Amino acid sequence: MLRTLSLLLAAVVALAATPALAQDTLDKIKQSGVLVIGTRTGSPPFAYVNKNNEWVGFSIDLVEQLVKPEVEKAVGKPIKVEKKESAPATRIPLLTSNAVDLIAETMTDTPQRRETVDFSLTFFYTGAQFLVKKGSPIKGVNDISGKRIASQQGSTNAKIIREKYPQAQLREFPDQPAAFQALVQGQVDAYTNDGIQLAGLKAKSPKPDDWEVVGDFYSEEPYGMAMRKGDAKFKAAVDAGIKKGFESGKYFELYDKWFGPKGEVPYPMTPQVKAYLLKQIGK
Amino acid sequence: MNYAFKWSVLWSGQSGAWLLQGLITTLELSAVAWLIAVALGILSGALRTVPFRPLRWLATFYVEFFRNVPLLVWMFFWYFAVPPLLPRPAQDWVFNHGAEFWAGTAALGVYHGARMSEVIRSGIGAIPRTQFEASVAMGLTTFQAYRLVILPVALRLIVPPGTNESLNLLKNSSVALTISVAELTFQTRQIETYTAKAIEALTAGTLIYLVLCLSIATIMARVERAYAIPGLISRTQAG
Repeated sequence: MLRTLSLLLAAVVALAATPALAQDTLDKIKQSGVLVIGTRTGSPPFAYVNKNNEWVGFSIDLVEQLVKPEVEKAVGKPIKVEKKESAPATRIPLLTSNAVDLIAETMTDTPQRRETVDFSLTFFYTGAQFLVKKGSPIKGVNDISGKRIASQQGSTNAKIIREKYPQAQLREFPDQPAAFQALVQGQVDAYTNDGIQLAGLKAKSPKPDDWEVVGDFYSEEPYGMAMRKGDAKFKAAVDAGIKKGFESGKYFELYDKWFGPKGEVPYPMTPQVKAYLLKQIGK
Repeated sequence: MNYAFKWSVLWSGQSGAWLLQGLITTLELSAVAWLIAVALGILSGALRTVPFRPLRWLATFYVEFFRNVPLLVWMFFWYFAVPPLLPRPAQDWVFNHGAEFWAGTAALGVYHGARMSEVIRSGIGAIPRTQFEASVAMGLTTFQAYRLVILPVALRLIVPPGTNESLNLLKNSSVALTISVAELTFQTRQIETYTAKAIEALTAGTLIYLVLCLSIATIMARVERAYAIPGLISRTQAG
């Protein structure tokens, strides 16, 4: 028994100590011809499976139409984009294990995460709110004391509620559908997440009029695409893609496609958000 | 691998407290579920071998129904489908008083009870039919024969596969995180949320599960030896 255990431990240590392969992401993509992204299947309109069973969304469009051309330029040949499912708990391991090259979904750029991964330019800006049944007594973050609040495991909102509003009964679910189901059935009184995601969920629900997104933003959630830390060349290519999108207006076309009046989730961009996004490229 | 390890995240901040909390929840969840599983397992396992057909059918139905549906589905079933059967005030009370934990316990216990049942049935099947016949011939009722002769021997025979099943139960308790039970795996993910150090957090979780399972296996091996009936099992293995 002891021998087996020590063998096992030795194997684990050997695995962990394998020297870092000196290969950057662009080299990897050049060899394989594939840019692998980690994205969501249930976060409309950023990344989700639509009625026709297609895996689409704003984040995916940004990769395919803005980032992909820049990466192709950098590796000097046409590439394919391959999608894999990622979730808050798996996205960083997916990146560090080289299973995916870029996380393009709804990941908030935070200082803690920056210690482990690099983020692209911010491509969306939102903040946490609540989704409730119409007419609910919960109107914002100050009304949640004693209430059962659903959140998404591993999200920044869950962390804020736990730390700053410990009187609320926090319930954490691994994905949107489970959290929403709990809200529909009354297991919880409200579901908190980034405002735009709640708006997406409301728009996609069978009876959108039954639900309300309430409250001021009680957190700031700038979304970025995440990549392995310290890979400057790849980051430059990704940022160049987004930057060009801002400059040419292609980004705003895509925004309009998903969030415009006729989009999946109408969510007009406020002047503040526009100024915030453009400030990143010095405008 | 382009990753900077920082193991100190496991003992700085609240990580230690979270892991301990997660460990306690995992143990509570598993212990209660195990009791349910063993009780249901013995009952249905024994019923599947009794000489009365409707009882055998009932037990077979239970086993086949519960073991052939994924555990994850049972978690959702007990959490999302069962409480709506209660009146609304009772539902609210349940949701305010740890519905997640009890739904998880029920899911885990009833599912593993069905699997445990097969283990126990095979243990009973390994006992020669003549033992049962001899017991009845001595004047014991069927119930007495099972309680005094068949089950005590069968339970000894099934310690190794029973241990196996118990370890599965312990590890499967992590599925309860899908219905918001803050058990060990949940807490390792929590550490990841706070520190973005997923590999360290998962390693801590893995080691805790490993130590837990090894301890249980060791204890069960001792139990097996302590309760062995000399001469019943001819080949003993060196532990």
